[in-house]
Amino acid sequence: MKRKSLLLALTVLLMFSVALVGCSGGSKETADGEKVLKVWAMGGEGQKLPELVKQYEQQNPGVKIDVQAIPWGNAHDKLMTAVASKSGPDVIQMGTSWIPEFANANALLDLTSYMEKHPNLKEENFFDGAVQTMKHDGKVVGIPWYVETRVLYYRTDLLAEAGYPEGPKTWDDLKDASKKLTARGEGKYGITIDGRDQITTALFGWQNGSDLINDQREPLFNQPEYVESIEYLKSFWDEGLVPQGLDLDLTAAFKDGTIPMFISGPWMIGTVKEKAPEIDGKWATVVMPTKKTNTSSIGGSNLSVFSHTKMADEAVKFISYMSEKETQLKWYEMANTLPSVKEAWNDEKLKEPLVASFGKQLEHSRPAPFIKEWETIAQAIIASFEQITVGDADVKTELDALNEKAKGILSK
Amino acid sequence: MTARRLEKVFMTTLLVAGGLIMMIPFIWMIGSSFKPANEFTAVPPTIFPDQPTLDNYKRLFLEMDFLVYFQNTMTIVFWSFIGLLLNAMAGYAFAKFEFPGRNKMFYLVLATMMIPGQVTMIPVYLIINAMGLTNTMTGIVLPGLVGAFGIFLFRQFMTTIPMDLLEAARLDGAGEIKIFFRLILPIAKPVFAVQGILTFIGAWNSFLWPLIMANDDSLYTLSVGLSLLKGEHGTDFGLQMAGAAFMVVPIIIIFSFFQKHIIEGYTISGMK
Amino acid sequence: MQHIWKQWTKYRVPYLFIAPTLLLLIVFSIIPILIALVISFTDIDLAGLADYSNISAVGFDNFVQLFKDPVFLKSIYNTAFYVVVGVPLVIILSMSAALLLNYGTGRLFKTFRVIYYMPSITNIVAVAVVWGYLYNSQYGLFNHMLSWFDIPAQKWLQDPVLAKLSLILMALWKSMGVNMIIFLAALQGIPRTYYEAAEIDGANKRQRLFYITVPLLGFATFFVTITTLIGWIQFFEEPLVMTKGGPLNETMSMALFIYNNGFQLSNFGYAAAGSFVLFLFIIAATIIQFIVRKKDVEY
Repeated sequence: MKRKSLLLALTVLLMFSVALVGCSGGSKETADGEKVLKVWAMGGEGQKLPELVKQYEQQNPGVKIDVQAIPWGNAHDKLMTAVASKSGPDVIQMGTSWIPEFANANALLDLTSYMEKHPNLKEENFFDGAVQTMKHDGKVVGIPWYVETRVLYYRTDLLAEAGYPEGPKTWDDLKDASKKLTARGEGKYGITIDGRDQITTALFGWQNGSDLINDQREPLFNQPEYVESIEYLKSFWDEGLVPQGLDLDLTAAFKDGTIPMFISGPWMIGTVKEKAPEIDGKWATVVMPTKKTNTSSIGGSNLSVFSHTKMADEAVKFISYMSEKETQLKWYEMANTLPSVKEAWNDEKLKEPLVASFGKQLEHSRPAPFIKEWETIAQAIIASFEQITVGDADVKTELDALNEKAKGILSK
Repeated sequence: MTARRLEKVFMTTLLVAGGLIMMIPFIWMIGSSFKPANEFTAVPPTIFPDQPTLDNYKRLFLEMDFLVYFQNTMTIVFWSFIGLLLNAMAGYAFAKFEFPGRNKMFYLVLATMMIPGQVTMIPVYLIINAMGLTNTMTGIVLPGLVGAFGIFLFRQFMTTIPMDLLEAARLDGAGEIKIFFRLILPIAKPVFAVQGILTFIGAWNSFLWPLIMANDDSLYTLSVGLSLLKGEHGTDFGLQMAGAAFMVVPIIIIFSFFQKHIIEGYTISGMK
Repeated sequence: MQHIWKQWTKYRVPYLFIAPTLLLLIVFSIIPILIALVISFTDIDLAGLADYSNISAVGFDNFVQLFKDPVFLKSIYNTAFYVVVGVPLVIILSMSAALLLNYGTGRLFKTFRVIYYMPSITNIVAVAVVWGYLYNSQYGLFNHMLSWFDIPAQKWLQDPVLAKLSLILMALWKSMGVNMIIFLAALQGIPRTYYEAAEIDGANKRQRLFYITVPLLGFATFFVTITTLIGWIQFFEEPLVMTKGGPLNETMSMALFIYNNGFQLSNFGYAAAGSFVLFLFIIAATIIQFIVRKKDVEY
């Protein structure tokens, strides 16, 4: 009997040892004394990056770049736990919309003092819109890696029939073209407007001269400019110019002409080319139509240094390499993302018309409000916009409510 | 005799009809995994592709670090089976022993089942971090090693084992460990089969926790690998379908194997 | 001391049997929930997580806010809807499937056992992709099938009422298998002799079903009911992957609301408060279950 309970006790003991054994954390040096720089990158970028950094490793013997790919859908969770445990990577890919939140939590190192030594990181290298995403509270917390902006995709053949062979140039054109295209018949639409994308309403607000949230952190959602832009958008729903419910596959609908226009980012170029080769040459991209301006959004990813790194110098050096014109162009070819460095756009590769529109649009682009509350406010905007377009709420009443809600969020 | 026959036909028809309904999404999934990209949006939809292609599977294996992910997944499966044994031990103690605090402890176990998983994630992470176990396989398997669901199920089934059986074994001089392994485990075979399958599935599909724990791709599981294939904008459906189909097949094989034990696990009737 | 030692020698066997499990549960479930409880009275966000000095106590503010939040109130209503419609359906369907599968022992029955079980073992990511396509109002199979009977196309996931039902249908499909197999294992445990005896006594098929089978499935039913109930109160994955709570928050469940606030918006304090409300609902539902079935839990 005694032996048996001893056995049991051993089992329990085993449990403890299992719990306590196990090497913790990754060591910062490999066996041959190489420094290992840990880089977190998202999804496909994370999977392609190791290929790109091979060259860097050759040029910098003694440094090894260890890339960890993190799925997009869970990157936020993963970053949060890294902040909580104060252990994570050295270099981190940051979606620009996340920067305020993580910078506010002091998770990103201030790079100001490194700017002199690494001229690649200087602000004048990047698009104005992208520069606005570099700073938080006067500190430089991220260096633009790649950018994206939204432009108008359109079917050249169908728009030519409607009288706009070069695409609509103004809000009035856009409306008129949509009406004519919808009039083609049952089940045909003018354009699709993705109300569940948080940037959609912002684009039109900006184009009408609204600022969304001003420098005093006051929301402007019930100001005439913004209200007018929402009323303009709502009219597309009221007149049946957009499909209700976003259940159409965009590429397929674009291919068969059901939806001859849509607003999207650079990733759709590849998708349309791949999935709808039949309409090659029958579609184009063009900068956003103008009201007061033709402002579009700028997003993408920055590279930041995690504040708990022990190799800040190495990390900045790596980011500097990523901001070189040649690296940026090479990455454009590998990952199909747009270079953030202006000079790269002088290269022949980016002169192709479909891509060039993005270059033009980037000159007139701005980031989403760069405050940590934006994500919460954006969710509220999406909900209100849904109430207005699908739920048929009164525009002014709903936007007054939205403004109050945003005030509440901002005053916390 | 004809009535019985009629009944059999009726039951079989019902069974087949229900099964076919259950099958629809699978047929759709398998069919779609062989579709080329442009066939996904065909109207009317095709159930079986017009131009079947193996492309999706080829890309799946090319773009995934398949062997490493598979190995990690199997390691998690292995440990979760150890956890299964612990669950069984606890369930047995709750079912067949009287001891002070038994009910209180059992309710405590049940309470853990009611805790929404989202809320404990960060605290658990901090605990694991304090133990220095982030980025280790131990850190990945430990928090999910035991579970209230399993303990509860084992306890429910083991309460039906007659006390006489245990008393008789004790009179014969068998030790408690021997009783558990030699007597209880064989009787509980059907529950073990059920639990084994559930455990395997859980481990096989484990996703968020391994991802949070891992600071290195080399600790990723198959599910994490699959989700890497999903882009920031839009999804490659063909690839996802192939991945989904690929992850389901091994489980079906395992299940087909285990279910024999459930149907033939008649040992339970030895204790009527 | 003497007393404790005596207790220990008397009860060490069961204690040692449950010790590893209990220890793990305390460390990885109970302690975290206590931490979360503390968190629910604070305004902790990401900055607070990085540096604890940024956290301040807010008393019951989070809870007060919750019950003023129309989205949270809607999520309570939606969750109740899911539970009231979903739970009975799961239990009835999985029990029927188990009875059906237990009817025969031929190869056909064995094969279909696997088929009925397959949905449960499928990865949720895959399920989302497949069902997203099935429900697609344009290219989806369901609307295509409806068109065979001249039924107009439905907006499965866009219509506020239908969307809830669509999610329930999908969850039913997915969760039937697990429960079915528990019933099946229980059915295997009913000794043949009971039926033989009943047959000799002249009981007909229906009587045997309702007076032997169903009562003897008592503990399995109890188990399935409790776990299903808890599972459905925490209804989460389906709305997350299919609708993200839309349209107009009509499919938002409490668990999804908590996830959105905690992990998308980093309002951990608010999310923790929400999860305690959820926790209380679950405890209440479970206690009711235990009271109702108290008499035949242990037999």
